[in-house]
Amino acid sequence: MAKQLAFYFDASACTNCKACAVACKDRSSLPVGINWRRVYDYGGGGWNPDATHPDIMIPNNVFVYSTSASCMHCENPACVAVCPAKAITKREDGVVLIDASVCIGCRYCEWACPYGAPQFNSTLGVMTKCDFCQDLLAQGLNPACVDACPMRALGYGELDTLKQAHGTINAIEPLPSADITHPSIVITPHKHSQPSGMGTGHIIKLEEV
Amino acid sequence: MDMREFVLVTFTILAQMSVGAFLVMGVVKIIVGRKAGVEEADRMGDRSLIAIVVVLGLGLLASLFHLGSPLAAPRAINNIGTSWLSREILSGSIFFVLGALYAILQWFKWGPAVLRNVIAWLAALVGIVLVYSMSMVYMLPTQPAWNNLATPVSFYTTTLLLGALAMGAAFVANYAYIKRKTPDCADLQCTLLRSTLRWIAVASVILLGVEFVVTPVYLVSLATGVPQAVASAKLIAGPLGPIFLIRMILAFIGAGVFGFFLYQNAQNVEREKLMGYLAYSAFVLVLIAEVLGRLIFYSSHVGITL
Repeated sequence: MAKQLAFYFDASACTNCKACAVACKDRSSLPVGINWRRVYDYGGGGWNPDATHPDIMIPNNVFVYSTSASCMHCENPACVAVCPAKAITKREDGVVLIDASVCIGCRYCEWACPYGAPQFNSTLGVMTKCDFCQDLLAQGLNPACVDACPMRALGYGELDTLKQAHGTINAIEPLPSADITHPSIVITPHKHSQPSGMGTGHIIKLEEV
Repeated sequence: MDMREFVLVTFTILAQMSVGAFLVMGVVKIIVGRKAGVEEADRMGDRSLIAIVVVLGLGLLASLFHLGSPLAAPRAINNIGTSWLSREILSGSIFFVLGALYAILQWFKWGPAVLRNVIAWLAALVGIVLVYSMSMVYMLPTQPAWNNLATPVSFYTTTLLLGALAMGAAFVANYAYIKRKTPDCADLQCTLLRSTLRWIAVASVILLGVEFVVTPVYLVSLATGVPQAVASAKLIAGPLGPIFLIRMILAFIGAGVFGFFLYQNAQNVEREKLMGYLAYSAFVLVLIAEVLGRLIFYSSHVGITL
């Protein structure tokens, strides 16, 4: 059994088609407002007038790239530590799960998580989040988001194996610094990807996420 | 600002006021007990004990309404090991039980005085732990506007300031009650109440000073901090600015100006009416100021999150 399951994300391949986010929402029948997996466009730069022809605008480091993010099933999950009801646990394979029958819906984990992973379901009165498609994993199938990606930008596996194959980058903008919770994610950066905390851009069209 | 945060404001303010009042009452009872005997000290404090417990009870009750599943509330103490929220609810519940027990024993003078004192000391200790736990709940690395020393310092300041002025109001009510029974109030109790109010006035002016030092230091540290902290500072200076200003002015008038006049007038028997008005309005103004301050606290945090 895996010691720490992790997602792999290839930012150089992602086109922000949101197939992963839609597959996730579909598979778990998530209501409006709850999106366990989200895809963010991050961009920056600008346009400067040409020195000799001021009516011509020259692109100045204009860039945009996309980042697909869900629960990071962190090695040091803040949600598990702060949950007053012990409703959130880290399974032996590293998957972080919320037990809806134990959750009291205080929404404290929402404040503690740097990834916006735990989301409140007001109908059920409890928190919900990505469960790594544990039912599909148990059947030997892939998580819905991974199978849905047309660019093969998403993968999953044992964290150490993914690190050996793809390196150790686990924080690019707009993801927060990995120091807070040590996320179980391995990222192949886009050529314009900026390390977390050193970004010069911003999330584009947040309302579309 | 949603309903949930309004509930949290209610809970934290009521719980802190209750702890503060209990502590202030304890100090007053110890001092008065030494000067004038236990009986006079009991006469001063016992009636307000009931109010302190009721206020805390209301606060705890209110806290249920920020839960998605209020009936599951008992499970909030499952994670004492790592969750400050669990510790907050546990210490709040223990403070309530000890406070209620003390109030009942004290009211009927049941049990030996030593036992009652031990319970009171334990309750006071748990109350201090409760306010500490309350502040630690907000010390999250993802919440720069909360994760700094200003949170515990301002929580304890609110506790003592509201506690002192709530007891001030309670003592004035007690004064009026005794006056109705013995109109000339030649009684030692009336003298004790007046001098106690003077000390409460002094305490409130000092605590106001603490707030007026902590607040600007806090705002500067936000404005020079990480981007999320700067965003919080901009919220306080921008859309929350008018509320912030009103909050500071009310606190200044209530604790500072009225506190000063309370100190001046509490000594004079002929100005006892004015003393009453000052103590009541200082309490009301500071209560409003602290509620507004807590609303700002919950409305201005910008998390490090996607």
